[in-house]
Amino acid sequence: MAVYELTYKQYLGKLTPEWSRFLVIPRHALKDVFKSKLFTAFFVICFLPLLVEAILIYLHHNVSALAILQVNVRELLPIDNSFFQTFVNLQGGFAFFVALLVGPPLVARDLRNNALPLYLCRPFSRTEYVLGKMSVLLILLSLMTWVPQLLLFAFQSYLEGATWFVDNLWIAGAIFISSVVWILLLALLSQAISALVKWRVVASAALLGLFFIPSVFGEVVNQLFRTRYGSIISINANIRNVTAGLFGTFEKVTAIVTDFDGEFASQLSLTEPPLWISWFVLFLICAFCLALLSWKVKAYEVVR
Amino acid sequence: MSVTEQKVDEGLDETRNSKSEVRNFIVFNDVSKFYGEILGVNRINLQIAPGITSLVGPNGAGKSTLMNLMTGLLRPSRGHITILGIPTDQPEQLFRKLGYCTQFDSFPRGLTGREFVRSFLLVHGTDRKQADELTTIAMERVSLLDAADRKVAAYSKGMRQRIRLAQAIAHQPAVLILDEPLNGLDPMVRAETIALFRKLAGEGLHLIISSHILHEVDMMSDRVILLNNGYVVAEGNIHGVRDEMEEHPMQILIRCDKPSRLAAQVFDHDHVVEARLHDDRLGLFVKTRDADRFYLLLNRVVAEGEINIESVAPIDDDLSAVYQYLIGSGGGPS
Repeated sequence: MAVYELTYKQYLGKLTPEWSRFLVIPRHALKDVFKSKLFTAFFVICFLPLLVEAILIYLHHNVSALAILQVNVRELLPIDNSFFQTFVNLQGGFAFFVALLVGPPLVARDLRNNALPLYLCRPFSRTEYVLGKMSVLLILLSLMTWVPQLLLFAFQSYLEGATWFVDNLWIAGAIFISSVVWILLLALLSQAISALVKWRVVASAALLGLFFIPSVFGEVVNQLFRTRYGSIISINANIRNVTAGLFGTFEKVTAIVTDFDGEFASQLSLTEPPLWISWFVLFLICAFCLALLSWKVKAYEVVR
Repeated sequence: MSVTEQKVDEGLDETRNSKSEVRNFIVFNDVSKFYGEILGVNRINLQIAPGITSLVGPNGAGKSTLMNLMTGLLRPSRGHITILGIPTDQPEQLFRKLGYCTQFDSFPRGLTGREFVRSFLLVHGTDRKQADELTTIAMERVSLLDAADRKVAAYSKGMRQRIRLAQAIAHQPAVLILDEPLNGLDPMVRAETIALFRKLAGEGLHLIISSHILHEVDMMSDRVILLNNGYVVAEGNIHGVRDEMEEHPMQILIRCDKPSRLAAQVFDHDHVVEARLHDDRLGLFVKTRDADRFYLLLNRVVAEGEINIESVAPIDDDLSAVYQYLIGSGGGPS
């Protein structure tokens, strides 16, 4: 056996804190995402409703502007919980399309290229990898949901005064929690699908299907059985309920039953599933996504 | 000093020596890995010293499993592994000392060679300034500094292989695990890469290489680990392994002017099992069970001066032959 003299100098310098290493992933991924001019244009368009929201808030407090536009303040949407809820829902819709574009290739590309060992043969855990990939979406979606919404809430508070701010602080909480629940759900779902399906187009289609097919099916169940329990399989309906619950607008749905001539027959109060069921369903979906990611994100796929 | 004290001191010395050995070795202690009911590797006991160690075996022999166990990417079902004294379940410490180059051609999209190496250094935990310096050093070592700012997607297969090697050595590890590192390299770059491996090994690095190019493995390795069906079939210096294979007589070709006469002389000895003339009738193939005794016999023949011997060369004292004997031709190395 050859005898070697140990002259090789290992790198023994200081390492960055463990918690910060996952940030390398979003830094590169975001750079990559914004290389596409089409996506950048779409991302800018996503901020248009926020501009409208800002203008509406401003108009409420600017008498001269209202006079110029010849608009009565009563004709404008009142700035209350429903106002913010409307825009949170609108931004949520845009966030869904951003997740649809950005999410599916994140993990799928690494799995397809067997690139996971490149990440995992470092002081870098599977959790940090998933966190890094998810943070790409969390950062992007936060920038277009709760961050600007809270800024607009602060803007409204500034114009309206401290009393309004104190009285409506809970709306800020609702904005933050409902947006975070939505973007967390989107990030987890798109990552789980991305880890399961290695082709981007198929993964995007699967994500789209996951939101719309159960909604349609749930609505069919609702119509057939005159219930609202069919909605518990719809992610959209559950997130809508949770958001409504947080903004204090959750209420039982009443249906009007008509006869064959279209005449009023009776008013039927449908049994709305309690709000906690929607929270529970969302929790189950998140838990399932995490289990799926834990199963699929491995340096090597074990062949059985 | 009393006898008891002396014994205690000797015991302490032994413990210290064995500890320092462990700190300088890759140690597999009764390691098995099962994928459900499928055997990956079984009862592996190895102590790998610095230098170049090659893993050789057919498809499914357990080479990749062994490499993945070393990198901590797989956990053993039984036994334990330490890399320079660090258990493989401590990634923070382990990966400071270990570099891994996979055989897969996978690169994040749109990155240049420099960005690729640098970004994985950042994932590794080096700060930006150090990452820049280490990237340049690594790119220089694999002779890719000129192409550092070109997109990896535009690299040739050989360049991709080298950039993967660069990312594996960039954080200056003490142990390098390289899965098929010579694949796709042209002869010139291959020679340069082998020279780099030899240089790194010469500096005291552990290099664990899996390769299917047997003559290159033979040429560059200090030792080989032959695997088959999840078991270590043979391990050590290739010539040492060959010497220990008594059931397979060693073949030696003797080039001389009177091969028939030489055949008559050597065939009388019990350790010579076969003597066959070369087709050109200027050489003799001899199969012997004891090469050392045969070489002594040849010395005597040379001393007698009746036969003029031009050259003596063992013809199956290489990895290919050992591989054929131990593993057979089925499957072929991978």
